[in-house]
Amino acid sequence: MGIKDRLKTGIQKNLNQRYIKRLLGIMSVKPVLYAYGKTFPSASDRYLNIFTIESLKKAYSGSNRPVGYGSLFVPFEMFYALGITPFLPEVMAGFTAGLGLAPQTLKEASSNWYSQDLCTFHRSASGAVELDLFPRPDYIITSNLACDAAQKSFYMHSLKYDIEKNFYLIDVPYRYSEESLRYLTSQIKNICTDICSKTGKKLDISMFEEAIKLSNELRKLAIEVGSLRKTLVNYPPSFNGLNFIMPFHGLAGTKEAVILYKEIYKDLKKYLDKQHKEGPDRNKPAKRILWLHLKPYYRNEIFDILYRENCRVVFEEINHVYWPELDYKKPFESLAKKMLSNFLAGSIDNRIDITLKAARDYKADGTILFSHWGCRQSNGGARIIKDSLKKLNIPTLVLDGDCVDQSNSSQGQVKTRLQGFIEILNS
Amino acid sequence: MYTCGIDVGSVSTEVVILDNKDNKIVSYVIALTGSDSKNAAKAAFESSLIKAGLKDSEIKSIVATGYGRINIPFADKNITEISCHARGAVSSFPDLKTVIDIGGQDSKVIKLEGGNPIDFLMNDKCAAGTGRFLEVMAKALEIDLEEFTPIFNKTSDKVDITSTCTVFAESEIVSLIGHGIDKNKIIKGLIYSIADRITTMVERVGLEEPVCMTGGVAKNLGVVRALEEKLEVRLNIPDEPQITGALGAAYLAQSLL
Repeated sequence: MGIKDRLKTGIQKNLNQRYIKRLLGIMSVKPVLYAYGKTFPSASDRYLNIFTIESLKKAYSGSNRPVGYGSLFVPFEMFYALGITPFLPEVMAGFTAGLGLAPQTLKEASSNWYSQDLCTFHRSASGAVELDLFPRPDYIITSNLACDAAQKSFYMHSLKYDIEKNFYLIDVPYRYSEESLRYLTSQIKNICTDICSKTGKKLDISMFEEAIKLSNELRKLAIEVGSLRKTLVNYPPSFNGLNFIMPFHGLAGTKEAVILYKEIYKDLKKYLDKQHKEGPDRNKPAKRILWLHLKPYYRNEIFDILYRENCRVVFEEINHVYWPELDYKKPFESLAKKMLSNFLAGSIDNRIDITLKAARDYKADGTILFSHWGCRQSNGGARIIKDSLKKLNIPTLVLDGDCVDQSNSSQGQVKTRLQGFIEILNS
Repeated sequence: MYTCGIDVGSVSTEVVILDNKDNKIVSYVIALTGSDSKNAAKAAFESSLIKAGLKDSEIKSIVATGYGRINIPFADKNITEISCHARGAVSSFPDLKTVIDIGGQDSKVIKLEGGNPIDFLMNDKCAAGTGRFLEVMAKALEIDLEEFTPIFNKTSDKVDITSTCTVFAESEIVSLIGHGIDKNKIIKGLIYSIADRITTMVERVGLEEPVCMTGGVAKNLGVVRALEEKLEVRLNIPDEPQITGALGAAYLAQSLL
């Protein structure tokens, strides 16, 4: 049994926070972490997993207080600037699926009256909170950006931990305007000031400046990675752009994110150079797939099938850099701009625009929209996105499934739909 | 030279042997899949050879389709039922634009352009809108499934069945019978509930004529009539709609030669 399977079995057998904490303690000892890192074939995967372990260890250790829960689209730069150790329950819900724990966390959520209709990222995270598997938060910061479930379920977490007064909901206006920018800027500034008054620390603008400079570095590198991918076909076999959602958001504002994206760039550049040297396979050019929304995080065959059938996911919408370069001299306004620029905020037209642009830029032959159960913000737009892509003669597969709950879709049906779509692309 | 298509469905397995000279069906077999799809496919293939008077060495290529397609070791290739149904339907009606297939546990709508599939939609994970739904209801009503069409034709009124879930619909029927509702009206209501579900799928993909209906349920003329009424189109039905997937697979096997 390999190290990953041993980890999985260990957590499955000892589903409690003490065990997770102890495991993370062992895992983050340098030689162990190094050995674990070596199990990943590429440097970017290695760094991604090492940084994830280190960040989880900090959140679980108890000695890096305060710990703050953050939903995916809040600007994590503010966490680092405020000295809050971030913890991302939605990302952790993906881990529960990967570790085979989702059946237990989902069951626990159901027992606690969380609706079966609720997105399983939030349901599984809520189950984990109920089971006391996550570190206790001191602060919770969420937003109404894109996701309706986050603001409600994160509020429930604040009740569970009796920190209702430390629950902050960032209200992101529907439209981008000077007024909405001012409104959002003042909210972010007020949250930061309020947290500082509670922690007794002075608001240190230099920390914000540093986090924003690092965030800009990440942004620049993510754009460069995207540029490489416009012509790249021969990806490292283990590469999956959908794995980088955590660092793209949760590590924004850290040195780790910059190191990781440099490694991603290097990994892909190596393959692009190889591709240039060998020339593209003219006999059987790969089909280029644009991926919308997320993927199942439990063991599944989707990406193996795509690879086997000579299809390459050339870009994922979650990796789109949607915000402008941030002005470190105006940290609160910059973070507000970042949130307001999110293509999932406001009208569906914003998402359509970036989808069509990505389809053109990455020369997509087809698009797959993974329609995650309960995710209204994504599924609601499926039809109009499909129709818009059709005007560019790009077929779209709306693949119904669930990112976290394996029992919510049949692998056989997913496979048939996927293969049927590939046959259409090849016809 | 001959090719063969095998469609291993959840309820039945169909095999078609095609003569490449004139694209004539030399033999076909429809058998129950049962619990062992691999052996069911092998047995059906052997029966089709006997029926055709051929040896297996005379079959130059085999394509498997259907949910059990990956489990047929003697097939040269497996292709999804989407491509196979489309190809099989086009062989009967060359100008087709839409194919509606209702099988045992699966229903799908395929949109075609120039004879090739360009889009499709399949039923979600439940059995509503499939042949299995009708089978379960026939059992609950203690009426042979073959009786459904004559009952549909002679009954003017229907009772709306509100449950889409097969299990809940079965309870609903039991409850309706308990309330003394005429079984014939229930049957008509059941047929319309399938037609409603399929109509929604067709509308999502976009209806374009000519339209063909395939799969075992296409033999149920009550469902065909209800669908024609809902969609306001005439449905083309192949002579043996249940073998369309296997026939398409046999045609697609020709491209492997």
